Amino acid sequence: MLWFEREVVAALMSPTLDDAERAAVESYVDQTLRSMPEHLRAGVLGESLLFGARARLAHALGRPADAGLRGRVERWKTSQIDVVRQYVRLLHSLVVFAENELMPSVR
Amino acid sequence: MAMHDTDVLVIGSGAGGAVTAVTLARSGRSVSIVEEGPWVDPDATEPFSLAEMVAKYRHGGSCAALGRPAIAYAEGRCVGGSTEINSGLYHRLPGELADEWQRDYRIDEFGADALDRYAARIEDELAVSRLPGAPPMSSAVLERGAAKLGWRAVEFSRVFRYEPSGRAVKQTMARTLLPRAMEAGATVIADCRVSKLLRSGDHIVGALCDRQRPDGSHEELVIRADHVFVCAGATQTPALLQRSGIRHNIGNGLKMHPTVKIAARFDHPIDHGEVPMHRVTEFAPGLTIGGSASRRGHVALALADAGSEYAAALADWERVAVYYAAIRSEGHGRVRALPRLRAPLVTYNLTDGDMSRLARALLHLGEVLLAAGACEMYPSVTGGVVARGPEDLVQWWDATSRNRANLMTVHLTSTVRIGENRDRTGADSFGRVWDFTNLHVNDASLLPDAPGVNPQGTIMAIAARNSDHFLSQ
Repeated sequence: MLWFEREVVAALMSPTLDDAERAAVESYVDQTLRSMPEHLRAGVLGESLLFGARARLAHALGRPADAGLRGRVERWKTSQIDVVRQYVRLLHSLVVFAENELMPSVR
Repeated sequence: MAMHDTDVLVIGSGAGGAVTAVTLARSGRSVSIVEEGPWVDPDATEPFSLAEMVAKYRHGGSCAALGRPAIAYAEGRCVGGSTEINSGLYHRLPGELADEWQRDYRIDEFGADALDRYAARIEDELAVSRLPGAPPMSSAVLERGAAKLGWRAVEFSRVFRYEPSGRAVKQTMARTLLPRAMEAGATVIADCRVSKLLRSGDHIVGALCDRQRPDGSHEELVIRADHVFVCAGATQTPALLQRSGIRHNIGNGLKMHPTVKIAARFDHPIDHGEVPMHRVTEFAPGLTIGGSASRRGHVALALADAGSEYAAALADWERVAVYYAAIRSEGHGRVRALPRLRAPLVTYNLTDGDMSRLARALLHLGEVLLAAGACEMYPSVTGGVVARGPEDLVQWWDATSRNRANLMTVHLTSTVRIGENRDRTGADSFGRVWDFTNLHVNDASLLPDAPGVNPQGTIMAIAARNSDHFLSQ
């Protein structure tokens, strides 16, 4: 996973998870992204690079990166632009499924 | 480079490949079955669990057909193919569709009567049967809702065997036909991906494979065969043929059942162990309503798809189950092998009529769940209102648009259609690929269209028919 993908995944996780649980969810998401068809993974990587560059720029301009990212991810969930909405939906689906299948504390 | 010789090479071990292999092996042919995925003990993972997705699903379950909107799909990639991961519901091909396909594609010896004979054979072999006793609550609510509305609902048979202890055992290919093929002398080579078919003019002489050894290393394997049956499913079969330079009407006519879902919350606990066996057939075969896998992970996914706050509903997940409505689509898609990439590009174009049908499907699904007693419903439409009464449903009509609908499917078909009309088909009436003397397709790719029901029974009946025809030649 790219740096920005880790950031998005972290932003999407339940705040009740402990470090080990967060690592397990991140590992599942990483494994699934690696398993994706190459052309789909390339598309996700492209979006991650684009959005990540924007986030780094925002950070360089002095905006609080973490809070800004959480807000952006929430907006992306309902974006009218299909590829943006699908980007965050993919990562959110993987996080939600892993949390609810793996984590006793979420259960 | 390792070499292997066989009379018949069957590529793929799912519903089509397993029927082909067992039929030919029992007739005394030397049969080798090649499967890209691993051999996984059917009892090793819980059905529909995360562990099962990792072990048995292609790409860990993260496949999508690109288009507006993209449509997520799931396929098996293990010995037994998608029969290892599906619900095990069994349907015969509706008779009117068999007759329509026979007429439109000029398929010889294909009518409803002919297919029913093969379907009966498969049902006997796999002990297809109804659930003994009362259906679980998750299934009964569908029947209840349909009855209140005056709609037809049917309890479908399943490919399950019921043990005296009450345990229901899905009769997957890894449990049934593949071991029986091996008893008849067939060989199964797992973890072995066919890179391309080896050609000599209009003849296939074998296949070049990449086999993974138990220690994780890889070796090239050449399998020489007199006859080749490609049974790798509706995405992988056309991709392999294209990689091998075979392209006439290959991969062009992809069909599927686009599906919308609802996470429905009831005021009573609901079971989550089995996929409901009732289907609302009032609008079939154009639209079918049924129940989905509803483990906690699936409930959470379905709740999240609406894009609304769902924490309270998830905390109450034992009263929530997931239901679906699937349509027969006017649209179609393509499968294209991409140079140097393992996965093919899959695209699908829904028509405006399809989008209207999906909106109507979502409303009908909402109606029947409300009638069944659902008190809260989360649609798989981003920004779709959480419905608590009939007055809310109408808002889903406009919300089900290309940039808000979250669609999926588990049924892909029709990428190498059969029939004598060469302009529209990739193979003849019995699955022999045009212009080749010994190359056959025998899986979901052959269906001229999506059947509107779970296609496993149709795939198996057609595969049995084609195998018998091959033996009669």
